[in-house]
Amino acid sequence: MKRYSRRQFLLLGTGLSAGAIGVLISIPAIGFLLSPLFSKKTYTWITVGPIDQVPVGVPTPLYASMPSIQGPPTEPQVRAVYVVRHADGSTKVLSNICTHMQCDVHWDQLLQQFLCPCHGGLYDINGVNVGGPPPQPLPEWVHRITYDADTGQHVLEVQNRLNESI
Amino acid sequence: MKASERNRTRVGRPVQRRLKATYSWFDERTGATELLHKGLYEAVPSRGSWAYTLGSATLVLILLQVFTGIFLLLDFTPSVESDWNSLDYLRTSDPFGNWVRGLHLWGAYTLILVIGLHMMRTFLSASYKRPRELNWISGAVLFFLVLGLAITGAMLPWDQAGYWTTVVVTNIVHYFPLIGDGLRQLWRGGDFVGPLTLTRTFAIHVWVLPFLLLTFIGAHIYLLRRHGEFGAWINYDTVSDNPDREIGERVRHAEPPYPTRRIERRYAAPRKTDDFFPNQLFKDTVVSLGLVLIIFVMGLLSGAPLDAPADSATLSYVPTPEWFFLPLDQFLVLTPHNPLIAVGVFLIVGGGALAMLLLPFLDRSRDRRPTRRPEVLVPVMLVVFIVIFMAVLGVNRLYSLSP
Amino acid sequence: MIALTQVGGNLLTNGLLVAVVALAHVQIAAFLIGASTLMIVSESVSLARRDRDPRHDRLAHGLIKSSLFVFSFGAALAIFFVLFVLSGVWGRFFVDLSRITFWSFFLEAITFFGEVVLIYTLYANWDRLDNHRLGRIGLLVLLNIMQFLQFFWIDVVASYMLTPNGGELNFLNQVLNPTNLPLSLHRVVGNVAWAGAAVALVAGFRYLRATRRLERTSRLSGGAPALSVGAMAAGNAGAEPPEAAQARYWDWAGQWGAIWAIGLSLLQPFLGYSYAKEIQLHAYPSWYSMMFGDLSNVFLVQITLLGLIFVAGALYFWRRMKEAGAQHHRLQGIVAIGLILVTAFAALPAWFAPTYADAVAAAGNKPFWEGGLLNPFAYFIPYKVGALFALMTLGLWSLTSYLRAYSRGQLRPGLVGRRTQFTLLTLGVAVSVMMMVMGVIREHARQPYLINGELTINQQQITNNSASPVGGTSR
Repeated sequence: MKRYSRRQFLLLGTGLSAGAIGVLISIPAIGFLLSPLFSKKTYTWITVGPIDQVPVGVPTPLYASMPSIQGPPTEPQVRAVYVVRHADGSTKVLSNICTHMQCDVHWDQLLQQFLCPCHGGLYDINGVNVGGPPPQPLPEWVHRITYDADTGQHVLEVQNRLNESI
Repeated sequence: MKASERNRTRVGRPVQRRLKATYSWFDERTGATELLHKGLYEAVPSRGSWAYTLGSATLVLILLQVFTGIFLLLDFTPSVESDWNSLDYLRTSDPFGNWVRGLHLWGAYTLILVIGLHMMRTFLSASYKRPRELNWISGAVLFFLVLGLAITGAMLPWDQAGYWTTVVVTNIVHYFPLIGDGLRQLWRGGDFVGPLTLTRTFAIHVWVLPFLLLTFIGAHIYLLRRHGEFGAWINYDTVSDNPDREIGERVRHAEPPYPTRRIERRYAAPRKTDDFFPNQLFKDTVVSLGLVLIIFVMGLLSGAPLDAPADSATLSYVPTPEWFFLPLDQFLVLTPHNPLIAVGVFLIVGGGALAMLLLPFLDRSRDRRPTRRPEVLVPVMLVVFIVIFMAVLGVNRLYSLSP
Repeated sequence: MIALTQVGGNLLTNGLLVAVVALAHVQIAAFLIGASTLMIVSESVSLARRDRDPRHDRLAHGLIKSSLFVFSFGAALAIFFVLFVLSGVWGRFFVDLSRITFWSFFLEAITFFGEVVLIYTLYANWDRLDNHRLGRIGLLVLLNIMQFLQFFWIDVVASYMLTPNGGELNFLNQVLNPTNLPLSLHRVVGNVAWAGAAVALVAGFRYLRATRRLERTSRLSGGAPALSVGAMAAGNAGAEPPEAAQARYWDWAGQWGAIWAIGLSLLQPFLGYSYAKEIQLHAYPSWYSMMFGDLSNVFLVQITLLGLIFVAGALYFWRRMKEAGAQHHRLQGIVAIGLILVTAFAALPAWFAPTYADAVAAAGNKPFWEGGLLNPFAYFIPYKVGALFALMTLGLWSLTSYLRAYSRGQLRPGLVGRRTQFTLLTLGVAVSVMMMVMGVIREHARQPYLINGELTINQQQITNNSASPVGGTSR
């Protein structure tokens, strides 16, 4: 067995104790810091409203109050939901979050394209990126369209998450 | 001797004596006089001393930021629900509220400008060469910390400008290869910007970065005092026919902290020095006063803006960065889509930042004149031109986009 | 009574006429602005130096002399341009344009008075101002400001024609139309680069002439052939013929011009790219035409010329460094080869059909290795962007390395071979041709519009105003 001098013992003891202090503090601190990575997210269905009045071929913004799924409970966040109805009956429910830097994309009448004012990203009517820096098409909100027999209308519901990560 | 005069001397002398005694009691226990001497008496190069006031001006402006920041904390509440209201209250109901916010804002603008000038001056005079490499590196770290403080500060008012700045800035990190998504989630506290994003950014702005800032300021000033102010090449000219002997004389009679050892003999001691106190200190104070006056007036006249409350559903807002981030914003416009976004943001900008940090190890030439160092001067000038042009182009782009 | 007539000529001749005159006009104007900037630099350097550097003084003097002649010739051409071409052949369009952008035209026109006064004053009193160098610099700065304002105001008109941003704008919005500032920055830098290249071009010629005379005289006198001026100067300074001093000066001037031409051209890929970005956002059809349409192949010529500028510069720097035996001259040669490779890569045809539409029509909308007509390695993004970046980086390297050798005193003046000067001639010609090609692209990108999306060429040709406008918005 190796024999330690008094000096070596003291140095070793100091080092080990200091290291232990560091480890003891770090465990909860790092766990706390990383907790958003492991927090469980709950998604709910939010009713946006009837979409039968939305004109065909014109992207139309509707609004959805999305409950916050992080931190302490707060007021829901209102987000724009672009409903695009095509003549063939298909419907797209595009988010207005630019895939480049997540700015507020809007439908530009003059350009006939979705325009992101931050860095000049351009998307066509189906949300496909056609110009500027955006790396991928506009994502859709996770959604479903149900038929309400009582009122005779198609109602759009969305979840507070996108169908692909951006 | 008149009665009144006699009275005064009788009263005055013992008071003076008392004060002196009190001070010597204090001095004996604290060493205040010695500390003051160490702090104030130092030789500085005499030529170009107005240019050397920029460093102390930076320090004064940082202290002003700390000071006004503490005052803002008295009223400000960092939560998504009351953030905007607290600033609105400050603006509408507190007669000095908007002024103090204006001081903090204009102080930040001035600070960035002055720190830029300070770095430019240091770069042109090549003060970062041996043995002052770490002065430059600590200064560059300070520059990045100030930029970090500026951007996190711009995120805190939960108005449209602050909210969309937060969205864009927290999103940039996600282009970092491999761990980008995780970093964005950690900063935001979730997938999207929300209540935790604000509190986290607040903590970074108020605790993390200022703590680092003050630490590095300490290191920076310690290093400055250790090696002394370099000045510029104009302080090291030789005038006589025998330069060797002249430099020898100069080094032998140099005042502390000169001659700087472990340096080329020619640059070890300036030709002529002045005392820091009171010559340089006077100039430092005058320049700082001028800057604080500008901030004082601008804070009063223009205050700090507050947009409409944050609205994540807006379809018309044009997010506009603060002016000092306009070149980087324009760079994002010019960088075409993936994978070049990561290349552009992290390889080019990050590489540039790294080159700036490690400048003393990249510029190995011995001469200190800018015209004798084209290998660093020309690339830096190219970058400076491009940065200025990008700012101009950014203004133009945002103007022609806004409705 | 004289009947109102239709505008004469046909579209081709009229278009050709305006193109030829406008291109010449731009070369002259750009040279004048760049020259006055270079004069300020040279005069300031001369003033700052202890020996008052006579070379810089001589260069500035030469530039003001040439400015006077170029300006006079340009004035004659401008009369021809405005009176005959714009008013006579494109009158209807010119009336509308000068109504919309009246103030820009007006502000541009009045600066000519200042320019005339300053150029003639400087030319006539140059020697008298020898003892008032600061005054001379002040006048040059005034001249520069005049010329800068002149070209800024005409840029408002030029950029408005490309991006009118939805019609008749008020004055402020005309000035800040989406492409005015990008275009102006691109041109500010380009003007000085062109002046530098022009100095290099002239200096190259003059050097060749001086050394040819030198060789002839030395052959006549039966002496040893003077292969290099440096050897001549070092040999016997007392008996130096005047041509040797001439050659030394022109060698220096050529180098000075080349440094400015290359240094400022380094910024141009970045500025041009920024400019194209704004065109994409605000005049999509024009941008499409440049990148995918009729002009896409002309654009490749332009990129080739850009590469040629950097290659010529790098070869010049390399030759000079090699002849002087300067440090790192081998690396400079490698950089020149790298620039040639990058240029060759950047000039790869984007597709093997005239336009993208043709490629699609021929069912060739796939990579060439799948039997299509597209060459994915020639796409602008990311390959050409990468090539532009590489050109800038390598160009920066070559210039910096040359200046490094220069600042270390490793380059002796006058020690230069005749062949080296041909790189300078190439540089000057390449910059000049590139400016023309760019002008052609810029003006053709609007086709068929005169004012983009608003006023077509056909409208200008129709006498009857009641004809329904074909314009509308193109966006």
